[in-house]
Order: sequence, then structure tokens, then C-alpha cells
Amino acid sequence: MISMSEPAIVPDPNAPSGMLEADLVKHARRGDLPAYDELVRRYQQRIYSTIYHMTANHEDANDLAQEAFIKAYSALKSFKGGSTFYTWLYRIAVNKTINFLKQRKNKYHLSLNDIDFNAEHDPDMMALVSHKTPNREVGLNELQKKLNEALVKLSEPHRLVVVLHDVQGQSHEEIAEIMECNVGTVRSRLFYARQQLQGYLAEYLKS
Amino acid sequence: MKENEQNFDELKKLLQLKRHEIPPPGYFNNFSDKVVARIKAAEADHSGPAYDRLQSHAPWLARFIAMFEAKPSVIAGFATGLCLLLVLSVVLTEKAENATLSLSANMQNPMPQGMAMASLDTQILADGGGGIQVSTNPVSLQPVANLFGQQNPLLQPASFAH
Repeated sequence: MISMSEPAIVPDPNAPSGMLEADLVKHARRGDLPAYDELVRRYQQRIYSTIYHMTANHEDANDLAQEAFIKAYSALKSFKGGSTFYTWLYRIAVNKTINFLKQRKNKYHLSLNDIDFNAEHDPDMMALVSHKTPNREVGLNELQKKLNEALVKLSEPHRLVVVLHDVQGQSHEEIAEIMECNVGTVRSRLFYARQQLQGYLAEYLKS
Repeated sequence: MKENEQNFDELKKLLQLKRHEIPPPGYFNNFSDKVVARIKAAEADHSGPAYDRLQSHAPWLARFIAMFEAKPSVIAGFATGLCLLLVLSVVLTEKAENATLSLSANMQNPMPQGMAMASLDTQILADGGGGIQVSTNPVSLQPVANLFGQQNPLLQPASFAH
């Protein structure tokens, strides 16, 4: 007896979801919106996160992320392919965010995303909350607020380096490419930014 | 450097708290749809962001405009520079006009022909007027005693009385 099994779903290489980044970019340059839609889906979360960590406000992050994607689409013709689309897109998002932050100077309104459930089970995090600040009833949310307040005190380039390296885990080289500076500059900015943060958050970092 | 890295260990752990700040599930479900809808809307009314269109057609001009974004000091400096340029051009123009006038005046100086003709005309009028005293000297053209006690050679009396 022959059993009829369900046919395996083979991804269509011509469908946007199965395409390589370079092909998607090529299609999007010709005005193929489904291809660009796929590019947006691939990078939306990372772009949003970077902007969110820079602005500490999720409404602003959402608006800026959308604007960055729209701008990238309209500027696709000027994309020469000297770097990856991802790096180029990142650069647009970062420049847009820095311009926005300069306009909004000293008018910070924290509108933070909730910390996810996993944070409460992260041993490092719980150690920080309970062990490092035993005399203070510091909850995760308060720590989150203090951390964001400290971050917004940094200048935009310093904050960006910390966000990209220590929060998002990007390499010095990738950051240098995004920020269009050399690796040495990235390293020195990171060192300075960490020093500043250590000062701002001293009471939470006492050993 | 190693020591510094170790010093930042606690800070790095604290910064990792940021990784747990994520939007609620489903937050990005409609994100790309919104982006594509905005792109379509911009294309439909063909009035997409002017700046973006400018960037694709004249990137140098877009970069120039971008210099002014969120930089009031640059805008103020540029505006001041423009004003100074305007004032300077007005001053220079006036100086040039004055120089031209004085040059033409100098060229007319040695030949007071116009004045001679005026004298002749007034004399004819006086002759035909039957004893009427005519003077073409307005008050302002009376010889003015200048500060140095010399008469202005340009202003000569043109009064002719019978």
C-alpha cells in the first residue's frame, strides 16, 4: 500500500523571502516593493532596537525606524554597493537618529519598553539587583530607568558606540564602518563612554 | 588595557539589561506594511519627501542643506555672512558711483561752456524783456563763503542787470 505523504515545502528561490540580500536590493532598486518589504522585515527589529536604545523612547524609535526605511528606499539609486545594504541602512538610521536627538536636545522623555520575562531569570541580572545593592530595594524597572538616564547623559557618538558594542554586540570594525571613522576612534570613544557611565552608575556598581 | 576591561565587567553586565528591553510580541507584525504603505502614498501623490528626491538628483545640494540641519549656529553664521556680503556690496557700489561722479565732474571743470551759454541766454532774455531784470541765480547758487575763505570756482554769479 502506497502511503501518500504531504509534499515537502520547498522555498521558492524567486519569492522575496528566499532571495539573497543582493538580489533583493537589485529588485528593490527597480521599484519592486515586495522585495523591499522583505528587506524591511529582515532588518526592522535590529534597526528599531538601535534607535530605541539611542532615544530611550519607543514611539520615537518606531517613527524614526519607519523614516529610515523610507529614506533608504528613496535613496536606493545612490547605493553604490561599497558596503553591505545592512551597513548602509544602519548608517541612514544612525544619522537620522543623531539629527533627531540634536533637535530634541535636553527634552528627553523616557518611554521604555517593558523588560521581558527572561530578565528575571538571568542570573547576572538578579545578582546585580540583589547582591550589588543589598541596602536598596532596587527592582529591575528602577535599574532600567537609571541605566537609561545615564545613557542619555552621554553625547550621541559615545552613546552610539556603547549601544552598538555593549548592548547589540557589534564588533569594533562594524561600528567603525557604520560611523565612518577608524577603529581607534571607536575604541577610544567606547573607553571614554564606559568611564562616564561608571561614574553615573557608581552606586549600582559597588563591589 | 586588560585591567580596564576587568573594571568594566560589572558595567557590561548592567548594560546587558538593555537587551531585555524588547517590544511586546507582535509589535513588528504590521511594521513593514506601514513602511510600504507610506512609500506607496508618497509615490502616488508624487510629492514624496522633497529632500529625498533632492538627494537622488543633486546629492551635493542635499549635503549642503544637511549641514544646516539642527545647527542653529551654522544657520546664524551663514545668515550673518550673507548680510555682511550685502552690506559690503552696497558700500562698494556707492563708492564706485561716487568715483564715477567725481571723475565726470573733473572732466567738466576746465570748460565752463554750459555756464557761458546760460549767461548768453539770460542776456538775450533781458534785452528783449524791456528792462526787466532777470536773474538765473537761485539762492542756492549764490557764492558761498567756504571755510577756507576761497570761493568755489564752480559757482559763479550769473546775474545781469541793466
